[in-house]
Amino acid sequence: MKEPFARWFAGAWAVFEKDLRLELRNRHAAGMLLMFVPASILLIFFAAGQEPLSPRIQAGLLWIVILFAASIGLGRSFVSEADRDTALFLRMHARASMVYAGKLLFNFLLILALDVVAVLTMMLLLHLQVAHGGLLASAILLGSLGLAGAATLLAALIAQAATRGPLLPVLLFPLLVPLLLSAATATRHALEGGDGWGASAESLTTLTAFAGVAITAATLLFDFIWND
Amino acid sequence: MPVSGKTYRRIRNIVLAWLTLVALAGFLLDIPRINILEHTARNLYFHVPMWFTMMAAFFVSAWRSGQYLRSRDPLRDTQALEAARVGAAFGVLGLATGVVWARFTWYVGQGIWWNFDPKQTMAAVQLLIYGAYFTLRSSVEEPEKRGRIAAVYNLFAAACVPFLLYALPRQMESLHPGAEGNPAFSDITHPTMRVVFYAAVVGFIGLFWVFYTQRVRLAILKERIEDAFRT
Repeated sequence: MKEPFARWFAGAWAVFEKDLRLELRNRHAAGMLLMFVPASILLIFFAAGQEPLSPRIQAGLLWIVILFAASIGLGRSFVSEADRDTALFLRMHARASMVYAGKLLFNFLLILALDVVAVLTMMLLLHLQVAHGGLLASAILLGSLGLAGAATLLAALIAQAATRGPLLPVLLFPLLVPLLLSAATATRHALEGGDGWGASAESLTTLTAFAGVAITAATLLFDFIWND
Repeated sequence: MPVSGKTYRRIRNIVLAWLTLVALAGFLLDIPRINILEHTARNLYFHVPMWFTMMAAFFVSAWRSGQYLRSRDPLRDTQALEAARVGAAFGVLGLATGVVWARFTWYVGQGIWWNFDPKQTMAAVQLLIYGAYFTLRSSVEEPEKRGRIAAVYNLFAAACVPFLLYALPRQMESLHPGAEGNPAFSDITHPTMRVVFYAAVVGFIGLFWVFYTQRVRLAILKERIEDAFRT
């Protein structure tokens, strides 16, 4: 008999491993995101022209691209279970919180991969100059964690709705306004240079708190979506 | 019925009489003329209570959603939906009175209607959340599932929204009283205005109660009639 926490962790890890293996097999989400992010940044490049963009605009655009790509890519994480009729099987073998944790971990890694692609493409095309690499990384890590926490719960929610196509952005964006504001501010400070860490301390606090509250609330509420 | 017809009618009459007195006092009592604001200051009695009422409706809706998740009583779902509907109507009115007021005081001569003021933005975000809540409800057919999914979204939104209160004022400057550099509400308001204002807040929250209770009672009656026809 293993410890309860170790058993819980093993269950969550198994859900994560299953999603990762499926993803490596068909590369559906990764392929889509890999195309969506450069394509949208290329569109910005053409729309904005040759004018150099200010750090404020660059930070805003970076987060807009991340939010849109995530809301498109993550919508599938539970719909795919419903489509393949594997939701019931998963329900029998894992508790709700394990499923949520496993899916959250997978979505978080997916968003991180997306972030790296987005930042690299923006550096190449839009001349993104990073003054504080560590600050940019922290802003992106914390922002992506909160984003993954909220998007995973809402993805499970829309998997039960009848018309689930474009519903995730509608549900997700109003809730992510505080996250977007703080993440864009911290990113702007990371691009601008100067006293970046001091200036964005409040934003990073907000991002940490938002991620904590979103994941806690989602864990508590996930039971009600998953178990009926 | 959660509220008996007799109680509902009695409270409704009190609220209507109260609001009539508030409207009379609001338009007839003399108020100090402040430069630029002049008589538009009377909008304080109508614009600000809308905002208070929307927040009260939001709390009632989230609370009813929590009750629904625990009890699965369809009445709780109806109550959460109706509180959100009436709250959204008050939110639209609050935004409308605020936008018109700002156009002719803060932005006079600039010709703009909307500037990203934190409180205005927060009201807009709140309305977007209500909109998402209604859209989500319309996309699920089965009542039990619809109630459950909508309640989860409502409670999750209630957990995320308070961050706006912390994040927004640090990103945007405000012209509202009480913001950085502006005098607090109680310093600039005449005692008479304060009395009328508090009375208006009570009155409009009462009006919310009347609409909310009326709509919940109507929904229950409709349900009963449909049941009667089915059997």
